[in-house]
Amino acid sequence: MSDSTIQHHEERRDVTFRVHRFNPQVDSKPYFDDYTIKLERGITVLRAINYIKEHVDSTLTFRAFCQAGICGSCAMRINNMSKLACTTQVWDELEKAREPGVIKIEPLRNLPHIKDLVVEMDPLVGKMQKYSNWVDSKMPESNWGKKEFLVSEEEFLAYDKATDCILCASCVSECTILRAHKEYVSPAVLLKSYRMNVDSRDSMHDKRLADLVQDHGVWDCTHCYRCQETCVKNIPIMDAIHGIREDAIERRGTKDTSGARHAEAFMEDIEKKGKLVEATLPIRTNGLAWTMKNLLPMAVKMVIKRRTPPPPPLVKASKGIDALRKEFREMTSHVGKDHEKKSGE
Amino acid sequence: MKLFDIVIVGGGGAGLYAAMEAMKTNPGLNIAVISKIYPNRSHTSAAQGGANAALANKAKDDTVEMHIFDTIKGSDYLADQDAVEVLCSEAPKIIRELDNMGTPWSRMDDKTIAQRPFGGAGRPRCCYCADKTGHTILQTLYEQCLRKGVIFFNEYFALDLSVDGSSSRGLIAMNIKTGKIEAFPAKTVIFATGGYAKMYWNRSSNAAGNTGDGQAITYRAGIPLKDMEFVQFHPTGLRKSGLLVTEGARGEGGYLTNALGERFMKRYAPEKMELGPRDLVSRSLETEILEGRGFDSPAGSFLHLDLRHLGADLIKSRLPQIREMCMYFEGVDPIDEPVPVRPTAHYSMGGIDTDNFGRTVMQGVYAAGECGCVSVHGANRLGGNSLLDILVFGRIAGRAAAEECQKFNPSAISEAELTEKEQELRSFMRPQGHYERYGALREELGHTLGMNVGIFREASKIRQGIADIESLKERFQHVRVFDTGDIYNTNLTQVLELKNMLDLAETVAAGALVREESRGSHTRTDFPTRDDEKWHKHTVYTIEGKHPKLGYKPVTMGRYELQERTY
Repeated sequence: MSDSTIQHHEERRDVTFRVHRFNPQVDSKPYFDDYTIKLERGITVLRAINYIKEHVDSTLTFRAFCQAGICGSCAMRINNMSKLACTTQVWDELEKAREPGVIKIEPLRNLPHIKDLVVEMDPLVGKMQKYSNWVDSKMPESNWGKKEFLVSEEEFLAYDKATDCILCASCVSECTILRAHKEYVSPAVLLKSYRMNVDSRDSMHDKRLADLVQDHGVWDCTHCYRCQETCVKNIPIMDAIHGIREDAIERRGTKDTSGARHAEAFMEDIEKKGKLVEATLPIRTNGLAWTMKNLLPMAVKMVIKRRTPPPPPLVKASKGIDALRKEFREMTSHVGKDHEKKSGE
Repeated sequence: MKLFDIVIVGGGGAGLYAAMEAMKTNPGLNIAVISKIYPNRSHTSAAQGGANAALANKAKDDTVEMHIFDTIKGSDYLADQDAVEVLCSEAPKIIRELDNMGTPWSRMDDKTIAQRPFGGAGRPRCCYCADKTGHTILQTLYEQCLRKGVIFFNEYFALDLSVDGSSSRGLIAMNIKTGKIEAFPAKTVIFATGGYAKMYWNRSSNAAGNTGDGQAITYRAGIPLKDMEFVQFHPTGLRKSGLLVTEGARGEGGYLTNALGERFMKRYAPEKMELGPRDLVSRSLETEILEGRGFDSPAGSFLHLDLRHLGADLIKSRLPQIREMCMYFEGVDPIDEPVPVRPTAHYSMGGIDTDNFGRTVMQGVYAAGECGCVSVHGANRLGGNSLLDILVFGRIAGRAAAEECQKFNPSAISEAELTEKEQELRSFMRPQGHYERYGALREELGHTLGMNVGIFREASKIRQGIADIESLKERFQHVRVFDTGDIYNTNLTQVLELKNMLDLAETVAAGALVREESRGSHTRTDFPTRDDEKWHKHTVYTIEGKHPKLGYKPVTMGRYELQERTY
């Protein structure tokens, strides 16, 4: 071990940090500053930019606090990926650098910019409030402190992994929906909502769920999995999002959103025929009126070009549909349990 | 700004509990929490191991009485026994309350809250949520504060109290996002700003912002500090970064070994072994290193924390964050390799002198949590008692302020005072006479404290430390803030934090020099034994001119007589 330590200390090289700069008080637009410093292997990105701030340019501005990966302050985009500067090794980033020896550092996206690498966190807090990201206890406050709730290991495991979230906002920064719609609930808030909704001590599941299925809510997610890939705590965020959706269909049916009806129509077709009945899919998802209004011109064009999908009676069930149905039912019956298991890992 | 009933400075466990309890006591009050970071970032989140409470879930014969005794003994009999009684008898209630509001806890087979053994405790009474207990408590408290609609002023840096004779007018703070100096006129102010152990800088497990802001502000306002010389070194800091490996790792059965492969704790605490109290285990590690039984590396000498025999499953389920930290910061997977560790400055037992309700000598000013000193930890805190302290005394201070605030009628904070403050801050930005870089001063402060006022102390070294601090304070007059902007000026806030650390470092060193005995975390090689006749008393510091003036306060005793402390 001490051998490898010595070797670590001997490996030194020049590293350039290309840092996004912008101070709205003096700058008309953002720019990049290059800082080249000599570093030894084993240094984290946070220690490197701390060094720059202390010894090279004290105006460089970023947040940092615990330096141990638990407070979530120092999330930033490093080589085009949002992550914590304090748990990111410079040498690992050098391997990913597009330009040799240059590490690019930018502020998180999808949140209002304040200065250099600092973004505004208030919108995220606002969404936590909007979606009631707290346990509203089944026990009246006047009784608190007298006895514990009895919670089984299984019930605890349902939210254990989700409570690892440190609200660093890396998932928020990488979310593709938020790029288009700032009002979107955002992955971290969905994760927290899920965590509250599966807590056996909570009493406001139905209200929270009702809020989540509104516009800009859980049905807006496009399953790009970017949040889950980004998560610095390796939380399966998509499981939480799927969990909320399944819960929503189970408890509220498909009336809330075309997203749910779309999913339901898919499921129905696959079970019945093993393939999609495309001709009626828009009607089943969005209703007849909407389809007539929005898709009729396209349908006419399709008829002219002879590209219409076959009418429903002509869609024959796929070969081996019986085996498929059996497998399909087996799969869908396990969905709920699978999520619990994964989030408890 | 209009007059607040309560302004709480700090959004960690103590501050958030105080806010919740104050709202519960009187929902009509106008309460604000001011924090230099978003509250969910507070250092409470770093507490891994858990919180002690004699729930008797795990050991059916555990009692509050035993918890009281363990805490008093752990404190080396410097804790006030009436305060410890409050701490321990409130403990089961507060843990249940946290559970009732939705805090996640690991569970036992009978579905009750799980408990693990912790250093210095006679029974397994540390309630935990894996190794993220502080994090989950903090998240829950923050969520509950949002639920209750607590008003937060996030990213405001507290500068000073505005003082009118013997009472407070409220707080002066800087809005970090705009740079504007703002007045928070308040009937009561509760300080809950955390500890000051970051003054040891690179040899500290603390967050960068644990700079003792509340202690420094109250000290400058004439409020006494207490027992500042007692700084706890945690035995198992990671070698390179000083970051912490929880005591829970030893609670789960981890071994400490030296270069000879010995479990050396058998020499120092034959009965409790690795689960001796922190001060003793830290001294043991330091002694092993000083006597040449450590491993050498360019990053300093170290010892091993060996978890391999616990097995991959237990490490993954009970200590996942620790495993992650060892891998990120040391490049070591504790499943396969022992973890390189050495003691690191971790916790400040000293702080703002308060009574059992969090009141200070100044009318309307309260303190709670690590920034206060009630005192429940005396000369050495037990693992698992710090989360408990912030929760119990945060709640008590919140209730006291809510009940008492109507009695106070503070005078207004003048514009002139704000302007004066602003000019003081601006003066750091002037090039003339300002050339020192704060980073160098900060590192030198940590270095001299670690060398001269660290685990082992002696008069000549401490005097060197005092001289160094004096010269650093002189150089601080010439520190330059290079960022001259208003918006999010972290160059300025870090300089202000350094100023706070320098003021407090002087009290730590002064107390270390005057206390000619060894007690708890304070070990004088030139006075190696505890001297109850002369030193069974608290040290108290008030500012006189620019330096601390020392005084003393008796320790409140109760049913436990002084005894020799062995483990």
